[in-house]
Amino acid sequence: MKFLHTMIEKVRPSFEDGGSLEKFYPIFEATETFLFSTAEKTKSGPHIRDSIDIKRVMILVVIALIPCYIFGAFNIGVQSGIAHGVERTPFQNFIFGMGVILPIIAVTFITGGFWEILFAVTRKHDIYEGFLVTCTLIPLVMPPTIPLWQVSFATTFGIVIGKEIFGGVGYNIFNPALVARAFIFFSHPTHISGEKVWVSAPDGFSGATALAVPAAVENGHAVSLLHSITQFDFSWWNMVIGSIPGSIGETNKILILFGAVFLMITGIASWRIMAGAVIGLTGTAILTNIMAPLSSNTMLSLPAHYHLVMGGFMFGVAFMATEPVTSAHTNKGRWIYGMFIGSLTVIIRSINPAYPEGTMLAILLMNAFAPLIDYFVIQSHMKKRRMRYAK
Amino acid sequence: MKIHISKGHDIRIAGTPKRDIISIGTPKKAAIKPMDFRGVKPKLLVKEQDNVKRGQPLFVDKRNPDVSFASPGCGTVSAIQYGPRRSIETIEISLEGDDAVQYEPVRFHDIAGLDRETVKSKILNAGLWPIIKQRPFNGIADPHAYPKAIFISGYNSAPLTVDLDLALSEQSGPFQAGLDVLRTLTDGNVHLSVSEGSISETMTNADNVKIHYVNGPHPAGNVGIHIHHVDPLNPGEAVWTVAAQHVVTLGSLFTSGDYDPSAIFSIGGPWVKHPIHIKGITGMQVTELLKDRLEDGPARIISGDVLTGTEIMPEGFIGFYDTTVSVIPDSDEREFIGLLKPGSSDSRYSLTNAFVSSNSDSFRFTNQTSGSKRPMVPIDAWEKVLPMEIFPNSLYRAILAGDFDEMEGLGLLECDEEDFALCSFACPSKIDVGAVIRQGLDMMDKED
Repeated sequence: MKFLHTMIEKVRPSFEDGGSLEKFYPIFEATETFLFSTAEKTKSGPHIRDSIDIKRVMILVVIALIPCYIFGAFNIGVQSGIAHGVERTPFQNFIFGMGVILPIIAVTFITGGFWEILFAVTRKHDIYEGFLVTCTLIPLVMPPTIPLWQVSFATTFGIVIGKEIFGGVGYNIFNPALVARAFIFFSHPTHISGEKVWVSAPDGFSGATALAVPAAVENGHAVSLLHSITQFDFSWWNMVIGSIPGSIGETNKILILFGAVFLMITGIASWRIMAGAVIGLTGTAILTNIMAPLSSNTMLSLPAHYHLVMGGFMFGVAFMATEPVTSAHTNKGRWIYGMFIGSLTVIIRSINPAYPEGTMLAILLMNAFAPLIDYFVIQSHMKKRRMRYAK
Repeated sequence: MKIHISKGHDIRIAGTPKRDIISIGTPKKAAIKPMDFRGVKPKLLVKEQDNVKRGQPLFVDKRNPDVSFASPGCGTVSAIQYGPRRSIETIEISLEGDDAVQYEPVRFHDIAGLDRETVKSKILNAGLWPIIKQRPFNGIADPHAYPKAIFISGYNSAPLTVDLDLALSEQSGPFQAGLDVLRTLTDGNVHLSVSEGSISETMTNADNVKIHYVNGPHPAGNVGIHIHHVDPLNPGEAVWTVAAQHVVTLGSLFTSGDYDPSAIFSIGGPWVKHPIHIKGITGMQVTELLKDRLEDGPARIISGDVLTGTEIMPEGFIGFYDTTVSVIPDSDEREFIGLLKPGSSDSRYSLTNAFVSSNSDSFRFTNQTSGSKRPMVPIDAWEKVLPMEIFPNSLYRAILAGDFDEMEGLGLLECDEEDFALCSFACPSKIDVGAVIRQGLDMMDKED
């Protein structure tokens, strides 16, 4: 590696102040610190530091998401096989899926990287690693049939409007990957919702996601409706395993759980948010179940354990609601924030049949309210302290 | 009372000083550094080549001329070094002879009967008032203030610091005398916190004080943490703090009538061969403490512990409040694609589980940051090592925003930068939290 190191040192002067390429220093810096750990030294106390840094944090999130990609590719092959009525080996399924996913990944990273570098260069700061996570998340929340130009548009919107205009990583209010998804959801709904987008299939094929099934029928019973579908296997267990149509990365709940536990162990994602969300979802689902006989809305009869494994709930809660910057920052606040996300997911799914997928909207809404939740937690803390002062 | 601390971390850094005290002969040079005393504007009372006695005031604080600063030894003022803008950096004494300024000694049993004003003027005259510090703000105590309590920490929990059980083992007389002296200065309590496992009879048998037994990881030994858990500061109140070894200095001033600057120092760190405790004097030159003890190669020498100390030159002097000299390697090493490696116990040390098999028993830390500075990503790294009822994250932002009401409301006045040093250590964004806390305290101090 000595060779690489000498090479970097050789080109360094042209990127530093006064060099011909000084504008592009952030690119140089990013390459350099990707290849070699930084040699920065502490200036004052503490003179020693923990080995953890933001690069490591972000890479770990990316690692946690890789299994979702692998299963996603495999599942795209499987679902498309069902639609076309062809038999493929698991390996062929995987290759077929990769053929669908890779262009989406490439477009996301090229677009995302472009904006990140542009903002880093103009703002003269290092290239922040956060965009790696954003760009890894975006393809996972897209349907496999998404047109590439929309992926590029959505990534641009997510990164520029969702993040950079607020000042970049650490200052953003909304999760940029969800902003990207919401952008398509509202601007080109036919490409990200409905019946035709979840499976790479011949024209005219329609395959709704599980959530659309009970939403479409009045006065039905959600679970028996799901079981009556013959085109796909919408049994509870199969939805856990994830062999169903859906966005690329959200179908296999076991792998998501795996990633979530990994992020909890490494201390990156808050278990309080995840626990809060599950509690909120369960509680609200029980409430809607109680109210179900009073209404013609079939969604109200969907039990909590079905809500849990349907749609993007688990994926969103594990990887997006827990994003440290846009979630609540106090531990009490995290419980409240999580519970609201769970609860709102059920409410949006049940009450508004036009938006069967509630998690995305619930998280974005709570992103907006997270600072308010923190405000109340902090005010109550300050009040307690003032009471002590008064004694 | 028992204080149980659960949040925090004992950093397992290589080079823990052995539980043994050695002597290294009479020191040749010592110095006093006015910069060690926050907010003090020095007015010199001596010039270069003057002969000074041990205990003779070298300078006074222009803002508070009652407060003078005693010479740690007898000899000649060999150099006065100036820093930027004519600030005085060091007043260096070449030590020779042992003449001392003598005061009337007080018999041990009479100390408790002295009144506050007598005690105060005696300490002020002897130039030892700077030993007493005051919270909030952690500067030299205001002689006109009435502290609601005085706190002494008998437990050093920071890495590589002096084992106080060992350092105070033969000092029970002057230590108790010092406690009696402090007793006269407050109407409130004198609190002494000791480690739960302490075997020091000097401390556990001390009279006239409230003894608290602390257990838990660093910063469990920090006096700020004890104040927070025993008798927290409210606005308008003040508490005084004195370092345990300085209590001995105070006591011997009264019982023997002169300034005895001797103290036990710990010498440690990954770059120190044979880390150990050494008997020396306040402000002595580190060259003498470190002689034949350093590995070869570039190193950073720190007066104080690795978390809160100050970098000094190899021929520099140990700070007035410091009793530790830590030496860590000055490293330029860069690891190839380190961010993708799982991590091993000799290359990584982390409080998080982000690496496979980090945290060896004695890690060879260097002065590298192991990462670049980034905006804050709140993954609770700070909260996990701060055993106080404080929202560090909100406090940090209130300080950056300059919001005084919120700073006070969130308890800034209870904080000191040293209690936040572990937060900076653990921060993945490499933010220096302690420096920001200090910035906030300075802002509040000016506002008053």
